[in-house]
Amino acid sequence: MDKVMSNKKMIALYVLPSLLLIMAVVYIPIVLTGYYGLNEWNGIGAMKFVGLDNYSALIQDDNFWSSAGHSLLLAVFSALSLILYLIVAMVLSARLKGSNLFRKIYLIPMLLSSVAIAQLWLKIYHPTNGIMNSFLESIGVANPPAWLAEPSLVLFALFIPILWQYAGFYILIYYAALKNIPTSLEEAAKIDGANAFQIAYKIKLPLAMEVIKVTIVLAVVGSLKYFDLIYVMTDGGPNGASEVMASYMYHQAFRAYDFGYGSAVGFFLLVICLIATWIIRKMTVTKDTIQYS
Amino acid sequence: MTSTTAGQLGGASRGKGSSVLLKLGYALLYIVLIVVAALQLFPLVWLLFFSLKSNQEVFNLPPLSLPTNPRWENYGKVWSAGNIDTYFLNSVWITVVATALTVVLGSLVTYAITRMKWKGSSLVLGLFMVAMMIPVHSTLIPLFSMFNKAGLIDHPLSLILTYVAFNMPITIMILLGFYYALPREVEEAAIIDGCSVNRMFFQIVLPMTGSVIATTSIINMIYNWNEFIFVNTFISSDSFKTLTVGVQNFIGQYTTDWGAIGATLMISILPILVAFLFLSDRIVEGMAAGSVKG
Amino acid sequence: MFKKKWSITLMTTLCLAMVAAGCGNNGNNGANNEGSANGGAAESDSKKVTVNFMHLWPEGVSAGQNKIVNQIINDYQAEHTNVTIKQEVLDNEQYKNKLKVLSASNQLPDVGVTWAAGFLQPYVEGNLFTPVDDVLGGELNGKFVAGTTEAYAVDGKTYALPLEFNIAPIYYNKAIFEKYNLEVPQTYDQFKQVVKTLSDNGVAPIALGNKDRWTGSLWYMYMADRFAGQETLSKAIKGEASFTDENLMKAATEVQSLVDGNAFVKGFNGLSNEEAKSEFTNEKAAMYLMGTWELPNWTTNADIPQEFRDKVGFFKFPTVEGGKGDINSWVGGPGVGLFVAENSKVKAEAKAFVEYFVTKWGEQSVTGAGVIPATKVDTSALELPQLYIDLFNEMNQASSITLFADVQMPANAAETHLNMIQSLFGKAVTPEKFAQEHDAAVAK
Repeated sequence: MDKVMSNKKMIALYVLPSLLLIMAVVYIPIVLTGYYGLNEWNGIGAMKFVGLDNYSALIQDDNFWSSAGHSLLLAVFSALSLILYLIVAMVLSARLKGSNLFRKIYLIPMLLSSVAIAQLWLKIYHPTNGIMNSFLESIGVANPPAWLAEPSLVLFALFIPILWQYAGFYILIYYAALKNIPTSLEEAAKIDGANAFQIAYKIKLPLAMEVIKVTIVLAVVGSLKYFDLIYVMTDGGPNGASEVMASYMYHQAFRAYDFGYGSAVGFFLLVICLIATWIIRKMTVTKDTIQYS
Repeated sequence: MTSTTAGQLGGASRGKGSSVLLKLGYALLYIVLIVVAALQLFPLVWLLFFSLKSNQEVFNLPPLSLPTNPRWENYGKVWSAGNIDTYFLNSVWITVVATALTVVLGSLVTYAITRMKWKGSSLVLGLFMVAMMIPVHSTLIPLFSMFNKAGLIDHPLSLILTYVAFNMPITIMILLGFYYALPREVEEAAIIDGCSVNRMFFQIVLPMTGSVIATTSIINMIYNWNEFIFVNTFISSDSFKTLTVGVQNFIGQYTTDWGAIGATLMISILPILVAFLFLSDRIVEGMAAGSVKG
Repeated sequence: MFKKKWSITLMTTLCLAMVAAGCGNNGNNGANNEGSANGGAAESDSKKVTVNFMHLWPEGVSAGQNKIVNQIINDYQAEHTNVTIKQEVLDNEQYKNKLKVLSASNQLPDVGVTWAAGFLQPYVEGNLFTPVDDVLGGELNGKFVAGTTEAYAVDGKTYALPLEFNIAPIYYNKAIFEKYNLEVPQTYDQFKQVVKTLSDNGVAPIALGNKDRWTGSLWYMYMADRFAGQETLSKAIKGEASFTDENLMKAATEVQSLVDGNAFVKGFNGLSNEEAKSEFTNEKAAMYLMGTWELPNWTTNADIPQEFRDKVGFFKFPTVEGGKGDINSWVGGPGVGLFVAENSKVKAEAKAFVEYFVTKWGEQSVTGAGVIPATKVDTSALELPQLYIDLFNEMNQASSITLFADVQMPANAAETHLNMIQSLFGKAVTPEKFAQEHDAAVAK
């Protein structure tokens, strides 16, 4: 068995094409981004090597840290919302009448492009004739807030469409993971007198654990580099209240023509993602050993 | 899903007293499910109405009201605006090719990482994971100059390579969770029978992972279908552009034609909706096929 | 059936693709640089050439412009049978991004669209645009409105030829003004009275979409012009004077007092210009300060109801008592212009095309697309809506036209300016801090 499964030629054949592709298409840009970050460069003229100047400026840049704070907050919210997605997936994967139809309907929003989602939520949040404020006014709330113009509210107002946008993605993964659990295990538990909650908690959850761990990493990394809806809906405003790391990177590089500094932000973002992933791996591994010991 | 199986969720060991409660619980559950389903369908309906409005109505009428004179001509405008058929075909084939490549290559890598024994497998996995941590806008300038030097600018291969590379990490991550859970017994038996790695992968493992392949295919398909930053950056000829560019046709220097954008979005969502409904059923089938062999 | 052979074929194809990409990367600029070394100005007429032209007038929404562009191209190709003009169309935002990416690799199209001053400067410094003074000195000599080509000049050389020229009046809804017995304000005090009356009656006085930030900048610019005078404002923007000037500070303070007086639509800092404009066209807001590029919407655009179009009038930004500004001083300037790339292989043809394009554009753009060109227009020979004629007259009478601050400043300072504008309107900064940040940004 071991001999067949450690055949170097086969391993190379399976892994190398993809690895080479990633190296060329993703790693060259990563390395170059790191390099641009060491230069003063407007993206057009000549580069001027400045060493770690951009990074030391970054460390002292309040605007960057507040955008990093917003990204981290989004990451925490995304990770927490996984619980909700998991519950929905559990309900959908149960042998419920019509669950097949419900599953399809629930996943439809994920087909929409960000352009459509942004427009939809702009209409929901519109300060005077948006769905949200029309509703609030109809139940007697006087002068409801302008959701996207209020620095203290804007970030949370944006989280809702972002979490909604990704719901389908995670529900789909969880659904597939739960459906992958052999029905025989569930049947056996039922015979032993376990109820639905016990089956969910004691059988389904542990068996889907590997998938759940992966989704935590995906949710956190995805949130840390999140850009789409924020860019369209608020462009980081008002007064930078919804600026996140990726939009800050974009503003520096493409708006302020400071490609060196923008690249430093991009590279720093990658480092933060790495640290976050490392922490998650550590945490989930510990959890694992407790569960199975 | 038949009605007889519906009751199994609650388990069999309950007394008569709780069965009323149980029914109440089910009723409540269904109400919640239906309300949420309505909410999830709302965007599609909204988009349809949106696509039938003029700019005035888009901003003035409540989002869920049908305009008095539905402007079906928005669709005509979109269709006659030229090149949309080319864009459409490009979207289809680029999405299909990139999705297929990503899922197959990603499965091979995941298989090698989770099932085969070799030094450096965790390092390679790490390399793939790091690759999903770079913001897209950081990669545009380096990628453009790279493809430019390779003569791939304004060539669909630049898009396919980029899509495959950028979606590979997330695909592998998702596959990973599933591969860890696959039972090893079948493979062991196959090896004893003298089965080669290739046959084992393509004839045993791939069919067992049908549900996750459908899942990752859906995800890849949606990403590739809606992608526009790379298209705009790498492609300049109309003959290679994709449907997402169609939206831009209605964003002007000072004004935007929202109704036409809605119509473009509506047209572009239909094929992917069909593909999704088809693949979505494969998730369950894939699972069934897997469990037969597993 | 998936067989070994199949999978190997797949692998090989992919590896080959990889190698192609990899090799090219190390291959030191191989094929694509050839020819770019010599500008190729002396190409013979018979030789077939392609001129790449990148612009931002898509067929769908900028139908008027797009039609003119295509007509000019067709005419030009008919007259110059050896030349093919290849177009690439992107929307505004994507266009700017792509231009940036293309310039980083020195791959600009032969002819493209650019903005003035601060936008253009890095491209000039990076040696990417070629001077077009020869074109300007040729048949086009004296055809441009005074002051327009200067916005594209760096160190005495002109690097692009403008296509548009705009000023920004305050548009207002005549019906709403009539309903509340309001007169067009001449002074700022009267203006504040108008705002107060409207606001007291539950009508949003001013439509402003300050998510886009340059919209709020227009208000600040006018305020600064009227309080401190055109000269002081211009000097401050150029870094020759401080934004802490007493009158400039008053302007910033006054912006905030307008905000306090509910002068702007609810949630203006979260609204895009597009959304704000709809508040005005849907008659929910009474005034809207915007460039003359909106004129088609108030005159010829059939998508907007005729009865609304008839209600739109305009007035000049009122003067401030004791202020140094002049009522005929405007904020505005040239919009987009055409550049020719320095390393274009077909520079001569590109320049000839630009010259042809600018001339034809000047003849057709007002009637065909409602765009006011930067070349002089003989209004007496054209049949134009009254609003156009009035604004053409205003342009001719203008005592000065200050270029939009975000266009004028270098990109970096412009970004700070725009962010500060949003913060000023959102009352997140004091006028003092606003001034200091500007001074620091301009000095960089």
